[in-house]
Amino acid sequence: MTENDTLPRVPLADAIDRFIQRIGQTIAWTYVVLVLVIMLQVILRKGFSSGLIALEELQWHLYSIGVMFGLSYAQTTNSHIRVDLFYAHMRARTRRIIEIISIVTLVLPFIIVIFLHSIDFVTEAWRVNEASEAASGLPWRWAIKGVIPVSFALLGLAVVSRFIRDFTLLIKGDD
Amino acid sequence: ADKLLLKTPIAFGSHLPALGTPIVWVADQLKIISGGNVRMKIYEPGKLVSPKEILDAVSSGKVNSGYATAGYWQGKIPAASLFSAVPFGPEAGEYMAWLYYGNGMTLYQEMYDSSGYNVKVMPCAIISPETSGWFAKPIEKPEDLKGLNMRFFGLGASVMEKLGVGTVQLPGGEIFGALEKGAIDASEFSQPAIDQRLGFHKIVKYNYFPGWHQQATIFELLINKDAWADMSKSQQALIETTCKASITNSIAEGEAMQFPVMEKAKENGVHIRYWNETMLNTFQTTWNEVAAEKSAADPFFKKVWDDLSTFRKGYDLWEANAFLPRATK
Amino acid sequence: MDANEILVIAMFLSFIALLFTGIPVAWVLGGIGIAFAFLGQFADNNLDTMTGLDYTTLGLVVNRLWTIMENWILVALPMFIFMGIMLDKSGVAERLMQSMQELFGRVHGGLAITVTAIGIILAASTGIIGASVVLLAVMSLPAMTKQGYNMPLALGTIASAGTLGILIPPSIMLVIMADQLGLSVGDLFMGAVFPGLMLGMFYIIYILIRGKLKPEDLPVPDDAKPVTAAIVFNVLKDVLPTVALIVVVLGSIFAGIATPTEASGVGAFGATLLAIYNKRFSIPVLKEVVGGTMNTTAYIFAIFIGATCFALVLRELGGDEMIESFLTGLPFGPYGIIFFILGVIFLLGFFLDWIEITLIILPLLAPVISALGLDISAPGIDNPELVWFVMLVAMALQTSFLTPPVGFALFYLKGVCPPNVKITDIYKGVVPFIMIQLAALLILVFWPQLVLWLPTVAYS
Ligand code: NA
Ligand code: NA
Repeated sequence: MTENDTLPRVPLADAIDRFIQRIGQTIAWTYVVLVLVIMLQVILRKGFSSGLIALEELQWHLYSIGVMFGLSYAQTTNSHIRVDLFYAHMRARTRRIIEIISIVTLVLPFIIVIFLHSIDFVTEAWRVNEASEAASGLPWRWAIKGVIPVSFALLGLAVVSRFIRDFTLLIKGDD
Repeated sequence: ADKLLLKTPIAFGSHLPALGTPIVWVADQLKIISGGNVRMKIYEPGKLVSPKEILDAVSSGKVNSGYATAGYWQGKIPAASLFSAVPFGPEAGEYMAWLYYGNGMTLYQEMYDSSGYNVKVMPCAIISPETSGWFAKPIEKPEDLKGLNMRFFGLGASVMEKLGVGTVQLPGGEIFGALEKGAIDASEFSQPAIDQRLGFHKIVKYNYFPGWHQQATIFELLINKDAWADMSKSQQALIETTCKASITNSIAEGEAMQFPVMEKAKENGVHIRYWNETMLNTFQTTWNEVAAEKSAADPFFKKVWDDLSTFRKGYDLWEANAFLPRATK
Repeated sequence: MDANEILVIAMFLSFIALLFTGIPVAWVLGGIGIAFAFLGQFADNNLDTMTGLDYTTLGLVVNRLWTIMENWILVALPMFIFMGIMLDKSGVAERLMQSMQELFGRVHGGLAITVTAIGIILAASTGIIGASVVLLAVMSLPAMTKQGYNMPLALGTIASAGTLGILIPPSIMLVIMADQLGLSVGDLFMGAVFPGLMLGMFYIIYILIRGKLKPEDLPVPDDAKPVTAAIVFNVLKDVLPTVALIVVVLGSIFAGIATPTEASGVGAFGATLLAIYNKRFSIPVLKEVVGGTMNTTAYIFAIFIGATCFALVLRELGGDEMIESFLTGLPFGPYGIIFFILGVIFLLGFFLDWIEITLIILPLLAPVISALGLDISAPGIDNPELVWFVMLVAMALQTSFLTPPVGFALFYLKGVCPPNVKITDIYKGVVPFIMIQLAALLILVFWPQLVLWLPTVAYS
């Protein structure tokens, strides 16, 4: 399912997008796991009571993995929401210029700031071997926190891919 | 610098009496006493950063101060809960004695230093006993607890877990919804006057005392150490002294406002219960097991626990002789 | 005007300006946050400002992002999306829509009424707007298009029915409002039942009237038959599995058996069983469902993440205090002030979403409202005037989902519409529904007991 078929082909950008989409498609299966974990919790709650907190935490772990890795996936499928009031009527060339400028001035700075700060955030969790504050919660908070820099690196890559695509097409001027 | 702005995210809404109101009082006093040169700007929970992120935010310098309770860092520092509230632990007077005139404060600061957190800590409010929680049915024997899901705070949660209770540490605002939807069957939060604001009495009618898990609870002001080092001696003294004054203010406020609320709760059909001896003994025995396990698992927990225990053993002689018996029901 | 105020205003203006360039909303919000943090730092160094903004402070965005990640309430969002997409792939959704419409026989607008009815049902199972809008759109838009519905009306019906979830309990917005103002969540949930149902009824009445006045906008399917006992029976047989699924999801929440998150997982699982039952299930279908779930969930959360960056910088700049001091200086009477505040919230709703308004504006309003000395009584409820006022705000915020340029229901809807649907069609479609919401708001202002009666009775 590459909705990217709507965007003109650029080999390097295509390759990057395919790579990101393959990762995304793989990670998307966590949602099936999430359904099963919730079912398990519902069943367990009828009969037992122990271990429920860990299951509940596992749920938001799985949910956040899906959400965070989805960011780059949705970027490659060009799904992020735009106000297309004017955008829909612009020439392709104008759109490319807007895309290129916004990536450099807005999107990449945002991604880079979050990426850099998240490295410290994860390092801290690793240093103190942070665990859940609930008595029977999950250990290894650094692992789930590590999702932030990894997913934002992928998002950065997806945005760079979009930059390459639009820049190449702008130079070629084939529209 | 002679002007100072403390940007202070807080862990409890400033509308919550005794939990949130003391830091507002501190902010007001700082401004008045310093003639406006030292200001504290309070950010309600989640406004800048959520309660559980306050330690990280202060330590990394993203904000220069924060107001919370150390039990929130239980997942990062196993010993932290000992500086929040100790099950079967000291009442406010004894707790303050250990902190200010025992080794408490030294250990409190050492805890953050040795865990690599770049913060200066000071107690900035204390409240007297909390309730033991709200239940849908009477709890007469340990078996009655088995299978319950309950919101519970800090070290007491480990005790409840051992007794077969599934515990979760929900923030105040989420408890009512969880109770109403059956996600939890029972809850503990704070003192009667605060619990009443959250409306637990509308769903669960059995309110148990005494709060064996939190006889006294300390709230801390964290200040980024670099920011602290940049302050003048007089600014440092101003903040420390105001926090000490706040200790007086907060416990007085907490002590004053419980009985009218309990009176009203009774009228609304709430059953105010006192744990029977079996239950209290069970809680205490289980707590001793938990304390031993936690001491074995974490050297610093053991260090603090041993020091506090030693202090309390000494205090026993005074305590057993000094006080009149409590009024009985 | 000091530098901070100029920065706050500049922040809002550049946000609005950049929105219209067509840059994704999430990146506009996030990017502006970053840009103004550095502007603030520059101002601190070179002008006489005290923003306290710099690169280090911006790190709070990561803490705030983490708080979104560990929010167990939001787990329900992808699950309801999963359920919606799976119901769509399983083929039962369209049948449910068609079957239910047959119950309305030759009534013009039967399908639209079905959408609103299902919107009310969904609202009662989740407070998550995105999921409801997406689910309704995925289920009903193809059917409405096929039947030749007036496109703006179809879109308006879906968007407005989908936003009912923010008002009808359980509602995440009401939980957050209760937390912000120290009110009882139960009081707010109870208080929202009648206003929410009333709004849904108004939508249905509007659709019926429009069907009478302009039947060509809501055509009856060519093969529409009068309702007979046989049809009713067939319909019941057809929809039974799906209705059972909804009953399980809803019933388990209301009976206190399951939390909304658990119910959402059960719903996703049940939808999968239905697909298997209908022989539509396969691994490629499941792959498509999880891919779609990931994509939809992600673009919704991208906006959460961008907005959290924007809001952080806005608060650091003191944007919230600016708004507060502006409101407290008003020279009107009590109801004048209430109308003014509601008007402001309505207008802010064009550009901000409920999260920002709830977290930034609402806490500033509480003391103002409490000080008005309104004579509103409701035995057994603490702060009845605030409970009532919160419901007014909630109703006003209903409109924020539907008002362009930043209407989250519009975005979610646009996200799942076929590419030929223009966002301007959606804008056109929601106008009547915004009018209805404003009318409902007016009724609540003058009839507080609509809000306060149920909690009073329930807890007495
Ligand atoms: Na709802
Ligand atoms: Na809007």
